[in-house]
Amino acid sequence: MAQIALPRAALWPRWSRWLRRAASNLIAHLAIMVIGLFFFVPFLWMLSTALKSDQDVFRVPPTWLPHDNLQVVVNGQWVPVYEVDLEGQTRQLALLSIAEGHGTFVDPANPAETIQVRMKFARPILVPGPRWQNFADAMNRATRPGLGVNFWTYIKNSLIIAVFAIIGTLISCAPAAYGFARVRWPGRDLVFLIVLSTMMLPFQVTMIPLYIVFTDKLRWGNTFLPLIVPTFFGNGFDIFLLRQFFRTVPEELCDAGRVDGASEFRIFWNIVLPLSVPVLATITVFTFLWAWNDFQGPLLYLTDPRRFTMALGLQDFQGQHAVAWNLLMAAAAVFTIPIVILFFFAQRTFIQGVKLTGLKG
Amino acid sequence: MSRQGRWVYALLAAALALALLAACAPPAAPAPAAGEAPAEQAAPPPSLEQQVLGVWITWGDNPAQLQSLFDRYGAANNVKVEVNSPVDDDKVIAGLSGSEPPDILVTGGPDSVGTWAREGLIIPLDDFLAGGEVDINDIFEAPLGQCKYQGKYYCLPWGTDTYALFWNKDLFEEAGLDPEQPPQTMEELAEYAKKLTKIDDNGNITQVGFIPDFSWSHLGLYTAMMGGYWYSEDGTRITFTSDPVVNALKWEQQFYCDYNTEDVLRFTSAFGGYMSPDNGFYAGKVAMMVEGEWQPGVNFIQKYKPELYYGVAPFPPPQANPERKNTNLVSGTVAMIPSGVKDKAAAWKLMAWMMSPEIVAEEMVANFNLPSSKKAAEDPRFHENDKFEVFLKLMSDPNAKAPILTPINAEVDTELGQIEEQVLHTCADPLPLLEAAQAKLQPMLEKALAE
Amino acid sequence: MAVRTGGGNVRRVWLRGPGWSRGERRRLLTGLLFISLWIIGFFAFTLYPMVASLYYSFTEYHIKRASEWIGLGNYVALFRDPLFWKSLSNTAYMVAIGVPLSLFVSFVCALLLNIKVRGQSIYRVVYFLPSIVPTVASTLLWLWILNPNSGLLNTLLGEIGIRGPNWTRDPAWSKPALILLGLWGVGNTIIIYLSGLQDVPVSLIEAAELDGANRWQRLWAITIPLVSPITLFNLIIGVIATFQYFAQAYVLSAGVSPVGSGLGAPLNSTLFYSVYLYQQGFVYLKMGYASAQAWILFIVIMICTVLLLRSSERWTYYEGG
Repeated sequence: MAQIALPRAALWPRWSRWLRRAASNLIAHLAIMVIGLFFFVPFLWMLSTALKSDQDVFRVPPTWLPHDNLQVVVNGQWVPVYEVDLEGQTRQLALLSIAEGHGTFVDPANPAETIQVRMKFARPILVPGPRWQNFADAMNRATRPGLGVNFWTYIKNSLIIAVFAIIGTLISCAPAAYGFARVRWPGRDLVFLIVLSTMMLPFQVTMIPLYIVFTDKLRWGNTFLPLIVPTFFGNGFDIFLLRQFFRTVPEELCDAGRVDGASEFRIFWNIVLPLSVPVLATITVFTFLWAWNDFQGPLLYLTDPRRFTMALGLQDFQGQHAVAWNLLMAAAAVFTIPIVILFFFAQRTFIQGVKLTGLKG
Repeated sequence: MSRQGRWVYALLAAALALALLAACAPPAAPAPAAGEAPAEQAAPPPSLEQQVLGVWITWGDNPAQLQSLFDRYGAANNVKVEVNSPVDDDKVIAGLSGSEPPDILVTGGPDSVGTWAREGLIIPLDDFLAGGEVDINDIFEAPLGQCKYQGKYYCLPWGTDTYALFWNKDLFEEAGLDPEQPPQTMEELAEYAKKLTKIDDNGNITQVGFIPDFSWSHLGLYTAMMGGYWYSEDGTRITFTSDPVVNALKWEQQFYCDYNTEDVLRFTSAFGGYMSPDNGFYAGKVAMMVEGEWQPGVNFIQKYKPELYYGVAPFPPPQANPERKNTNLVSGTVAMIPSGVKDKAAAWKLMAWMMSPEIVAEEMVANFNLPSSKKAAEDPRFHENDKFEVFLKLMSDPNAKAPILTPINAEVDTELGQIEEQVLHTCADPLPLLEAAQAKLQPMLEKALAE
Repeated sequence: MAVRTGGGNVRRVWLRGPGWSRGERRRLLTGLLFISLWIIGFFAFTLYPMVASLYYSFTEYHIKRASEWIGLGNYVALFRDPLFWKSLSNTAYMVAIGVPLSLFVSFVCALLLNIKVRGQSIYRVVYFLPSIVPTVASTLLWLWILNPNSGLLNTLLGEIGIRGPNWTRDPAWSKPALILLGLWGVGNTIIIYLSGLQDVPVSLIEAAELDGANRWQRLWAITIPLVSPITLFNLIIGVIATFQYFAQAYVLSAGVSPVGSGLGAPLNSTLFYSVYLYQQGFVYLKMGYASAQAWILFIVIMICTVLLLRSSERWTYYEGG
């Protein structure tokens, strides 16, 4: 380092250096803001679309503010108002019904007289206004009327799988991680290498035989079992995470326990576990995220819509040709919001967990 | 315990309680269907001994109506019939090969019947047919022929489909064409399409005359109009390289390649959903389309865009071949029984009910489909809508053709679809692509036929 | 009793074989008991399926009929299959371009987020949030944003005079569209880099400043080498994950092709390796063929990982050696 020649900057007058620093600060600020927009704006767009009415969704050019039909009450019912070209004039008329390209209109001031106009000469009047109804529609929309399925069903299913997956993961990974971290047994490190290497195994290699075993041999097709049961038997990632953490528990505490004659299990249960609540919280959050997000698993195993999880249900919603983007975005928002709420409650847990995954082995 | 830990435990405990409650509670009662016809009126309360039959239907025009139709069977026979509609193709395969197949599977077309029969996923119905609950002579020959594979019937048709030309009368008028006069030849169609295509000053397309593969490929119809098909009559040879196929693809190509294909693709990709007010044709963005008999019905144009001013006529023949007038490809919905079904007799009983002329008439009238049963076709309700009449006439026209079933229909369709996509979207020359595909598929077909 | 460490002593214990002391035997049992659930899982859900799929890859597997042994038939057919090579090249594109690009973007964002600006914690939340949005939701959202006519992106591009491409329907742009979607979700990698940056000893930076190094030199000579282990880790994880890329492509294809599962639309440009595998195994029910594909994927991933690790010795810098 000592051999670096004095950079030219050191020779420049002080005010010019201050100017350059201010300029680069400004650029940095701008960059942070612009990139921040890249991350933030899509959320806004999702919400904006979710609140638009059906005709508004495909408006070119698209607008930020959602618009809805202007409506009036005629004969006790809300009907939309259109701008109609009639006999050289443009009038605002309420639309009662449409058939075969012709609309039946009335003047709201004179509801007794109906006017038949070809729809070609009529345009709907749109006013800005969010359509909160979209959320209710997306959630309650009976996606399969015969089966009584809607989005609440999907949420319930996702929750069930998530909770059982969390339980299974904690039960199987914590003791295993302790076994690798603090119990000294012959062959331990070799077996741990195997655990690590399973993290590199692509899902596709085991996918097909597992599918055949679960659906054909065990007849567990269309249940949550193929998704939940494997979580009760540990997974490399969480075992690795927990082991790293357990190794930071001071050895003296465990030794003190051993000197007192406690079994390894008691040391694990009474000493190490209570100290590990933060990382257990992290595992809980991560497993919840994984279960909430999982798509390929449910795609393979869940065939009856009553069993769909949210990820599958949302994609299914998209696949049905009767869906408009506004409802789809409303449903996607509902899918996303619980995660965002969870994040704000457990912010530190999230960040800690992500950092832990980055720890070098 | 840290505060954070307490939070997590509390949340976990609450979630666990919720999940256990949800998992152990009896299945949720059908949620109030906002806006859809309540389907529970005819359904009997499910009791413990009651059998549950599952019917999967891949198309989803009006799931509520289908459920209420099947509820009638349920009420009369003390079973509960659950209709799952629509169903994605992937889920169909998973269902067929899984441990809980539906008792009856209804698909929009017979394309995969050959493959599934070959793989042993569906059962032949001949033994059941011998029992006489279904009168096989009552079914029109063309749709019935779709279901025959290696001498056995693996499915039964439930409603027939055919396609015709739709045109937007308002747009015709704007372009200076007679709104009551559709094109009379395929060449005229191309001419009209040019007049009906509008491009603004920036070079963007704002309206298109005709898109040959909107909303899906109609290559079969075009090939039939050109005088052939991509299988030989007996289904033993692939005839990709025959003139009708090549000419059909070349005819299709002009609608993309005479313009800037990228622009056309960009324009069509902005179309809304098939069953929505922003469907390309409904929204007036496409002036002419080839579509099926359900479009003028209650589940489609009448529901999504009643203000559309349009006409329906048979798809025109090529100028040089007026004898091919009214040629149309008759295909349609088919129903089959998966091999994994436990109580096949109960499934057959349901299917026999579905095939009875009264039910066929009922369903096809409600759903605006062509009846596959001769007795059902006599129902006067089919003649109430003059646009529907066009399709009825086409179905019984001597030029009506049925598609040919082979054991590798699914693979052939995929291959053709890819070729069509390349020909249309990249303006490639169809012949070399067809030759390569034929060389690949012919041995596959021979091998499958030999099994 | 003397405390034994693991590592070196393990070797000696193994070589001595059954002559283990009672203490060692007891510890072995305890250890195995703790990891018992994992061991069962390993044999049932990892080892058995691996062997089974290897076996299937040598057969023509039918779910409801008898299967037949065809030796290397599937592998030969794969090498002759143009779609196999297409799926491989599509995936290689994502790995070669998508992974380094997302690492680069994450690193730059981490650098930016490390600067003391007003509202820094808010920015950190904003940058992180998209990475926890469920995959299906974010894919659908971006499918909508990337709509060539009424989508947000092309509208914004139009306002500055650029005619945005046909993102989802043009085979040349579908993969960049997916990479863009991926870039939206790099939040967790940013956090990892951020914590790595905060670990860089301030003393080193100050010493360099005193020596007269400017910002670029400090970045290049100190910061980047010190976070190189993170880079390596994320590279490997990214490569392994990208080879298995599935959900986004599946959802995108379903949104692009009008009816049925036109996987890989448009024109097979999004037919990634795992998508093609899924199609062969679960749509066409050619499970033997798909098993062969799975094993080839495994080998390719292994090779890439080893290559990365080997090359890393030259550009990774670990503290203390």
